[in-house]
Amino acid sequence: MYKLAISTSGEYVSAAIFEEKLLASFVSKTNKGSTGILLNQINELFDKTKASRNELNALYLDVGPGYYTGLRIGLSVSQGLGAVLGIPIIPVNGLDALAFAAHTSHRKICSLIDIKRNEFAYCEYMPVPGGVTRESDPQVISVENLEIKLSDDADKKLLIGNWDLIENKKILTDSNTKLAEPKFVTAENIYNVGEKIKDYPNFNEINLEYMREPDVTLSKDTLSGNVKFYD
Amino acid sequence: MQSENIILGFETSCDETAIALMKGDNLLINKISSQVEIHEKFGGVVPEVASRAHAEMIRNLFHSSINECGVDLSEIDIVASTDGPGLAGSLVIGYNFAKSVAWALEKPFYAVDHMVGHLSAPLIEHPNMEPPFLSLLVSGGHTQIVLVEEWGKYNLLGSTIDDAAGEAFDKLSRFCGFGFPGGPAIQNLSEGGDPKKVDLPRPKTSNKFDYSFSGLKTAAVYFLQKLSEEDQLLKKDFAASYQEAIVDSLMDIFVKAIKETGVNNISGGGGVMANSRLREKILLFSENNNKKLYLPSPKLSTDNAAMICIAAKNELITNKMNIDDIRLSSIIS
Ligand SMILES: [Zn+2]
Repeated sequence: MYKLAISTSGEYVSAAIFEEKLLASFVSKTNKGSTGILLNQINELFDKTKASRNELNALYLDVGPGYYTGLRIGLSVSQGLGAVLGIPIIPVNGLDALAFAAHTSHRKICSLIDIKRNEFAYCEYMPVPGGVTRESDPQVISVENLEIKLSDDADKKLLIGNWDLIENKKILTDSNTKLAEPKFVTAENIYNVGEKIKDYPNFNEINLEYMREPDVTLSKDTLSGNVKFYD
Repeated sequence: MQSENIILGFETSCDETAIALMKGDNLLINKISSQVEIHEKFGGVVPEVASRAHAEMIRNLFHSSINECGVDLSEIDIVASTDGPGLAGSLVIGYNFAKSVAWALEKPFYAVDHMVGHLSAPLIEHPNMEPPFLSLLVSGGHTQIVLVEEWGKYNLLGSTIDDAAGEAFDKLSRFCGFGFPGGPAIQNLSEGGDPKKVDLPRPKTSNKFDYSFSGLKTAAVYFLQKLSEEDQLLKKDFAASYQEAIVDSLMDIFVKAIKETGVNNISGGGGVMANSRLREKILLFSENNNKKLYLPSPKLSTDNAAMICIAAKNELITNKMNIDDIRLSSIIS
């Protein structure tokens, strides 16, 4: 039986297929999350491995944080596959997936994912035997506050994820912080965390990690009470 | 394309998550999960809110649609979905869900233009409708006069230069606190009202078949602002007058286009085409002028997925396309 993992939360779209171990994977850089790429990758993975669709029995999904459109492409494709093939979707947080990929470090792991508008999702982890544990809840952070956060204490830190997208890298590299890989989430990262998850939600309880409430920009001009209609 | 093929259709271009299944000429199911309650508190459709809601609703809607019509997934012959125009964040949900369903079923996927969906919607109830015909497509997102010379040959004669007709309803309704969506709210309020009570403009544009609605809303707001306590304006009279101004504007220019093109068949679609006053006027015009009218019922006028099914079917038949021709290539491109 095969397992499929996908990540569409950032600049890179990736899909990977597993049968106990990794069989094949694709990572492609996108221009604004073009929708065709993911299904194209999935199709190629099945072609390459000669897997049949019915032999797929689980799907591991990067539920963010990240770019909203990409996240929703990943979710919709997963929901469509899940609905037809009757397989579970195991949601994996991208910050967790990055941190887990760096778990052999002895430093505090600081996981960073771009969520646009000059803001990042950020979470701190400590390495433990065989994995990582969250030291904080994921939070939204500006570049300015990230700089403060990293220099806040004397802990040795490993900054992973989308730090590459920050132009002025000097502010990130004080004497305690090291910039490291992985620089973005891949389907393989997602699978490695996902396959350890035993309790996963029903398909209609899968929530994307938006991290922000939607903007509501509709005009608020309403009748200010100075006109009285007669009913 | 075989006449008895089962088409599964998706439509998520604005704030309705919609799924339909059609077998031959029969609509097996036509489900719409409206987000009206979600957007009500904002007085309009908020794109990001709409997108999140689509993502949450689509799979449940899919399961209930399939279960209720008793079709086995393996019986589906082709999957179709709107690929635009519409709100990008909304489109992406239905489109990707539909494509992945097609891929998982190993069935072809066919993308349908939303406006072609509206143009084709009358075929569900009037299978004998044939081009050439002139269609008035009016909703919160579009206001267009389209000449369908033949299937696949669409000539846009006019559209709005500012607000869509549905927006004109929504914006005033929001301003007055009448409710959302504005069209149905204003229609309900205008019952028994005098449409001639308030004199509002019927805006004209430089291109004879184009519409403009932003001035109308401004005029209505201005009128309300200088109203004094003694004027004793009835809500129903004001609502009826505003509705009449929109309907008159829509009809004036549409009638001009009908006369100029000399078509004998007329049609319409979009959410505003569910407005009873507009339907009354277009029906009256067709009767008095001996034009054949092919209007989809109100439920098929507003956004729905049945129109995506019928548009896909109609295009495949018109273009003599074989389902196998569009197999995998269309899913993964
Ligand atoms: Zn529409």
